[in-house]
Amino acid sequence: MTIFSPSIAPSQTESQGTAEALPLPPMRVAIIGAGRGGAALLDTLHQIGTIEVVGIVDKNPTAPGLQRAQDLNVPVFDQVSDLIKDRHPSLLMDVTGDPAMESALQEQVPPGTDIVNGQTSRLLWLLIQHEMTLQTELLHAEKLAGIGSFAAGIAHDINNPLQLILGLAENLTDETDLDAVHLQAGDIIEAVKRTTAICRDLTSYSRRTSLRPDGLIGVNGKLDEALKIARYAVALQDIEIRKHYQPDVVAKGNPDQLLHVFVNLITNAVQAMEHQGILTLETATVDGGTQVRVSDTGSGIAPELLNRIFDPFFTTKPPGKGTGLGLYNIKNVIHHMHGAISVESQVGRGSTFTLTFPGETSPQEEGSS
Amino acid sequence: MSEFKSGFFVGGESCNGRVLVVDDEPDIRKVVRMTLQKGGYDVLEAENGEKAIEAINSGENRLLLDVIICDIRMPKVNGIEAIAYFRQNYPRVPLIVLTGFPDTDMATSLLRQGVVDYLVKPVEGEKLKASVARAMEQRELAHL
Repeated sequence: MTIFSPSIAPSQTESQGTAEALPLPPMRVAIIGAGRGGAALLDTLHQIGTIEVVGIVDKNPTAPGLQRAQDLNVPVFDQVSDLIKDRHPSLLMDVTGDPAMESALQEQVPPGTDIVNGQTSRLLWLLIQHEMTLQTELLHAEKLAGIGSFAAGIAHDINNPLQLILGLAENLTDETDLDAVHLQAGDIIEAVKRTTAICRDLTSYSRRTSLRPDGLIGVNGKLDEALKIARYAVALQDIEIRKHYQPDVVAKGNPDQLLHVFVNLITNAVQAMEHQGILTLETATVDGGTQVRVSDTGSGIAPELLNRIFDPFFTTKPPGKGTGLGLYNIKNVIHHMHGAISVESQVGRGSTFTLTFPGETSPQEEGSS
Repeated sequence: MSEFKSGFFVGGESCNGRVLVVDDEPDIRKVVRMTLQKGGYDVLEAENGEKAIEAINSGENRLLLDVIICDIRMPKVNGIEAIAYFRQNYPRVPLIVLTGFPDTDMATSLLRQGVVDYLVKPVEGEKLKASVARAMEQRELAHL
């Protein structure tokens, strides 16, 4: 069994020992200001293997970036001088937008330490916002590309009720038994309702991810919804589905994005089984956090590929069958939800993807974000 | 169903022929049965390829089946696998595909394998009956 968890921390990225490991040590960056800008900067920089965020500072103990830093095990300070003394950053990124901070920093930093502030810092914030927009667009593009593969499933689910409707309607044109007429008219109405449900599910799934603030999502219901969507992409008739749900399991995030994550994981799992096998969906509360596991009894992933599956554009599917963006986007969504994803796999036996999310957030963070 | 005899074999008036409908949707089997029975056919049903193979190999069906109407997307043995089996083991029984998904490549490949018609749901009753009637002619020619 090989286990892999895509890391966002620089030290772990290096320990994977990829051939392309850079010879330079990671850049030691400190962030001054933990408001929205500082938090977003932290999130972005933390994903880059060649950067180590050595600390973040803010006088306001409820600043959102400080909470995020604690989740990511990044040291938190309330004084810039302490951060410089303890962590020896080579670059200070001042995102406070405070002119007084600019002059104070000039006096405090040892020689050889660079400072980013003022207009440069603003430029950086704009770039990060742009990057966040691109990620959302990429997620949507990949979702729409996936919907292309729904065609067979949708056609099946619409044309079957249509056949029933047409057949019954043709029969009704010369049906003389009034009871039979009533019965068949009822069947037609039911068939129309089924067809309407298909369109409702799909239009809701294909819409652009809503930008409403993150809320608590019922994970079990979301998994069931994902199963309904996934069956358009992959044939589930020969898949045994086992659900082990703990009641009332929740995660905090965007419900549309979490649905997309589940649809992708289920679709991948079924494709790995070549349409026969057991799909297991599990939810649980573990150590105060939420755990979701999606397991298949499929072909498994070769150990040498395991640390590449979360890379953008990496795919083992034949050309035209996969964008290579599915797991990359999943990783980004999970990361945005402050969660983690890992995979265990054995060739010929199957794979298990485990998602973990932090427990229900404290009122303190709720108020500051 | 055993009281029916294939029209071809016994030359009887009561039945134009015996058709096996293979589809996982009971609703589809129901309307196809309704339509074909009005056309004077005896209709057998199977819910997937596996059941269809069982049906064709059981009792007198082996001799008396005139036409098979087969869906593609089904559990267990799907339409493609079932059709390959029928073509190999019962090459003289004409096959009609009735599917929810129009796929040109698949249609071409199946027609090359000897499938007599590729119908996409929803198909009108008259068209379905005409297709079965054409298949029956082929069936008779195959026996001449």
